[in-house]
Amino acid sequence: MKTSLMAHLVAGYPTYEISLETARGLVAGGASFLEIQFPFSDPSADGPAIQAACTQALAAGFKVEDGWRLVAKVRGEFPMVPVFVMSYASIVVTKGVEAFVAQAKAGGVTGLIIPDLAPGADEGLAEAGKKHGVSIVPVIVPSVPASRLEKLLADEPEWVYTAIRAGITGVHTTLTPELKAFLSALNARTKVMAGFGIDSAQQVRDLATSAHTIVCGSALVRVVAAAFELGGITAVRPAVENKVLELLSPI
Amino acid sequence: MPSYTPDTTIKPVFNDFFGAFGGRYVAEVLRAPLEELEHEFKAAMVDPAFLADLATVHREYIGRPTPFLYARNASAALGGAQIYIKLEGLANTGAHKINNAAGQILLAKRMGKKRIIAETGAGQHGVATAAVCAKFGLPCTVYMGEVDIARQRPNVYLMELYGAKVVPVSSGSRTLKDAVNEALRDWAGSFADTHYLLGSALGPSPFPDMVREFQAFVGREVAQQAKGLDIAALIACVGGGSNSIGFFEPYLDKTTPRLIGVEAGGRGSGLGENAVRMGGDARPGVVQGYKSFFLLDDDGQVQDTHSVSAGLDYAGIGPQLAHLGQIGRVEFASALDSEVIEAVKFFARHEGVVFALESAHAGAYAMKLAPTLPKTRAIIINMSGRGDKDIFISAKIINPEPWIGFLKDEVESYERAQHPKENR
Repeated sequence: MKTSLMAHLVAGYPTYEISLETARGLVAGGASFLEIQFPFSDPSADGPAIQAACTQALAAGFKVEDGWRLVAKVRGEFPMVPVFVMSYASIVVTKGVEAFVAQAKAGGVTGLIIPDLAPGADEGLAEAGKKHGVSIVPVIVPSVPASRLEKLLADEPEWVYTAIRAGITGVHTTLTPELKAFLSALNARTKVMAGFGIDSAQQVRDLATSAHTIVCGSALVRVVAAAFELGGITAVRPAVENKVLELLSPI
Repeated sequence: MPSYTPDTTIKPVFNDFFGAFGGRYVAEVLRAPLEELEHEFKAAMVDPAFLADLATVHREYIGRPTPFLYARNASAALGGAQIYIKLEGLANTGAHKINNAAGQILLAKRMGKKRIIAETGAGQHGVATAAVCAKFGLPCTVYMGEVDIARQRPNVYLMELYGAKVVPVSSGSRTLKDAVNEALRDWAGSFADTHYLLGSALGPSPFPDMVREFQAFVGREVAQQAKGLDIAALIACVGGGSNSIGFFEPYLDKTTPRLIGVEAGGRGSGLGENAVRMGGDARPGVVQGYKSFFLLDDDGQVQDTHSVSAGLDYAGIGPQLAHLGQIGRVEFASALDSEVIEAVKFFARHEGVVFALESAHAGAYAMKLAPTLPKTRAIIINMSGRGDKDIFISAKIINPEPWIGFLKDEVESYERAQHPKENR
């Protein structure tokens, strides 16, 4: 069975056009899902690679409406590839939680990943998701207390994003047997997306049986940055395609 | 010598939310450490041993109670209300920030934490944190934006002298908000052995409650020192809000006196020109773990701010102050950079005290308010910090030529000492 990979990109990074090229390359490489991050000025859960990409996208003039435009374009070109939108509370709350979710639905978005609107302190995000038929994906960590996990699962989320270690995105994560056991147990109850520090085919293979979908973010953003710097706009698409192929390659 | 004991009869209150504002909007990873912190904070504040330790630190290390000055000359010159100044800037390390740093380091020790991290803007909170870390023997890492490092080098020097590691933050606007982000990132991976010693009355719960409680000793001293005065108003500057909320605390549930928070008016009106949240263009939002008023664009992106004082140069305001502003208990005003410089000069010449640029915002507003009030009434300014730290900023505005000459001479004499042969 093909390993399910969710490939991440930052909308508008380094420009709107190149972020669209990035999406095309990621799909060509074999990504099953796309996670499109809408840049926020203060991305406090992200490491240096994604922070820098967000800062650069905003400096280039990114607006939230550009994000929706990118989503619509990608959905139009690749209707079989579900899109998740990742962003931060400030973006969602400022636009109005209900309006943001409705816009996501209209744009064909499968789910929203908003780490700082966690269940219980989400400004009505889960409710709006139910109302409009958009999956709201809670983000958890393996250290989550059992009682808290049960509370989260009581809402029967279709997906749960597991940040597989504490800290921020973009630092290589070592996979322990305990981690895999945690993911497998959770994956039996809901569809698990596992990410944070995924940058090698070895990790992807290692996690493939423990989670529904493996998420790769910072490593791909670094590929975009390097390719754009060395080869300009035309270099980005083949570079990310190759990286996804590499991540999904068998031994 | 009279023995000094802080008034601890007022029970700490854990609010979490203040009306519509506050809360704990954080990624799941930080939920458990914040719950642990809330639990320990509540337990510590009713533990006589903890409070006794804190009282000792207040007396022996911070220098509490800080003086309460009757500004006789300033009052006469302005010709209205009698002006009193709480000289909080005479606390060790030069500002009220030490009160919170001392409280939280005792809490960190109590929790068995082995390492302290902090953010800093102007550097006053970083200096206070570095100092208490030296005093209590914990390693300290302070995150500071590159822009702030460039304009507050003396405080970087002091932090390093205390043994802290100062980490430059190069992301975003490279100022206080980015330093907060970087500290949050560190904490998300290090909370098992690390305490995040946040310096302002904002961020995710329990920080706004905790910082207020540790700063409330200032207001409670004032309530004692000002007995018998007919107080018309208390005036404090407001950045994030740690000095004002502590100064106002004993009066929050009363209807008098007027409580006035003075924001950074910067260069004037317009987004990016100032740091006026409550009387300006701010909108409600959720940023850095709490709900409050922030300077945001229509997408929710946090906007750059400007103030001559780095300590007020921040796009958000503590949630309790946002609430108190909304219900009308705290009034908000602003002072321009130029008015602030005039206030520094006025109080230096009339009272022999040099306000920090932040605190001088309160002084500037007092200069406007005092003449409108009768002589029988009193207004109290919180000089939350002293201005020694600002000389590299204020001197080149107030008396530039000799100061620039001095700086040039300093560099030249240093270079001569480094390369003696070339100058022979």
